[in-house]
Amino acid sequence: MMAISLLPVFEWMESTPVGQTIRHSAALIALLESIHLIGLTLLLGTILMVDLSLLGLGIGRSPASRIARELRGWTAAGLVIMLVSGPVFLSSEAIRCYRSPAFWTKMALLAIAVTFHFTIHKKVVFEEPAAPRQPARWTACLSLGLWTSVALAGKAIAIFQPPG
Amino acid sequence: MFLLSICQWLDSTRLNAAMRMSTWFFPVFDTIHTLGIVLVAGTIMLVDLRLLGLALPSEPVTAVVQRIVPWTLRGFALMFVTGALLFSSEAVKLYHSPAFRIKLVLLALAGLNALIFHLTIYRGVANWDPVAAVPVRARLTGLLSLAFWIAIIAAGRAIAYGSGYDLG
Repeated sequence: MMAISLLPVFEWMESTPVGQTIRHSAALIALLESIHLIGLTLLLGTILMVDLSLLGLGIGRSPASRIARELRGWTAAGLVIMLVSGPVFLSSEAIRCYRSPAFWTKMALLAIAVTFHFTIHKKVVFEEPAAPRQPARWTACLSLGLWTSVALAGKAIAIFQPPG
Repeated sequence: MFLLSICQWLDSTRLNAAMRMSTWFFPVFDTIHTLGIVLVAGTIMLVDLRLLGLALPSEPVTAVVQRIVPWTLRGFALMFVTGALLFSSEAVKLYHSPAFRIKLVLLALAGLNALIFHLTIYRGVANWDPVAAVPVRARLTGLLSLAFWIAIIAAGRAIAYGSGYDLG
């Protein structure tokens, strides 16, 4: 039901000058995809380091909390770059995305990944060092799995033509 | 012309025909290739940012390099193997793409930059890490590396959307 009510929003996005301009420029599409990918690179690179620390494969003996604290700014920068470039890019093919199951899968996974990152993941990373190891490992695997599936779903939007 | 004839030969192989006929080959290998690049760039950028003093300030450069670079190399292996296969599936087309040529030059420059760093400044890392500030030449390596990898990602996207295919 929610999806149905969102169609006018997607139609409006595509009708905006921004959407129309990008839609007709291969150079702008390539540029936006590049920016979006650089954001993903920052986000995944920093999260990978934190998760490796949780798995006991981190930098030296530094606790995951210290790695996370020292990379927090770059993780946030990556996320902001993606959350800004994404909707701009979306506006160039909003109606196609609206019909794409891959797009909605990506949005759902993204919502789960972001929620997980700022709740359970954050709690486990910043827990006292005496924390049990097993939950930390599960958290790291889940984190890497979630973010990778967000990226894969993103690629799937381009690969699979929406039905109809 | 020598390179072009290699590309023409690649396009004429049975492997090439199989890859072109397959509907899943390109999307699957392109996806793995992208993940490989994200792994390479995502990890090497952290080393670059450390050299520039913009990330991981309390970790010694040596610790960062030792832990992160193996992941960069794993990503590179992934990117190289999938990249070589993707290339051989449309070699002549890519031969004529300016964006593809630029990407290869940038990759070579990024590699050279890393190689020079490891053979020179990094050899004397014990003298400045972690007690002193990162030497200017090491910072320059970090800055160049960041610029190269951002450009490599952009060049990769330009191959997909560029008009280069038509210039041949």
